[in-house]
Amino acid sequence: MPDIPVIELVQPLPGFPDLRQFALVQLDSLGGSDDGSSAGSGDGSSDGGVLCALRSLEDPDLRFLVLPPSAFFPDYAPVIDDATVAELEISSADDVLVLVVLNAGDSLGSTTANLVAPVLVNTVTRKACQVILDDPALSISTPLLG
Amino acid sequence: MLVLSRRAGESVVVGDDVTITILEVRGDVVRVGIDAPRSVAVHRAELLEALESSNRDAASPSEQAVASLAEALRNRPE
Repeated sequence: MPDIPVIELVQPLPGFPDLRQFALVQLDSLGGSDDGSSAGSGDGSSDGGVLCALRSLEDPDLRFLVLPPSAFFPDYAPVIDDATVAELEISSADDVLVLVVLNAGDSLGSTTANLVAPVLVNTVTRKACQVILDDPALSISTPLLG
Repeated sequence: MLVLSRRAGESVVVGDDVTITILEVRGDVVRVGIDAPRSVAVHRAELLEALESSNRDAASPSEQAVASLAEALRNRPE
């Protein structure tokens, strides 16, 4: 998954009304060269990297952990409404990167993913938003390891 | 806050293009229909509050939490 240096949120993240610009940075692809990963295994393995940071460009201290849900939730297939498709200027489903926001616990076992509100990124226009899926079957804090 | 009494089947119009209709009242549950342009986001308030709270909790995890999560994901058997 490529890093994306500038992502423009067309709607702010709920709870963070003033922040519009983020960067997507992969955290576990370069043997932990990004900050905070120095305690990693250090084997330099570049395969299987999924963990990313959505880092605010306007507030350097703010970042969210995100990852594509497919490895953990293979059946997860959010339906995007027409207004979002228009707002993100999506012309092909292939251009859309789906990310779920993680709430990091003390371990992998206590880490949860927000499946109610995935972040959708149009990788062509680099516009993004956090959509709210009105599906009672989804949970805002779904254990990453179901 | 504007307070209005409505019966089932009656509506309230907000602005030029939002209509809120009371569909049914049964016990302490009121079913409400909302007609609004697609550009107007309509969400249940508690869902939006839960999302704000979840986002705040998710924001800026400690370096240690990130490192241990990255390592656990790296070492996770496929």
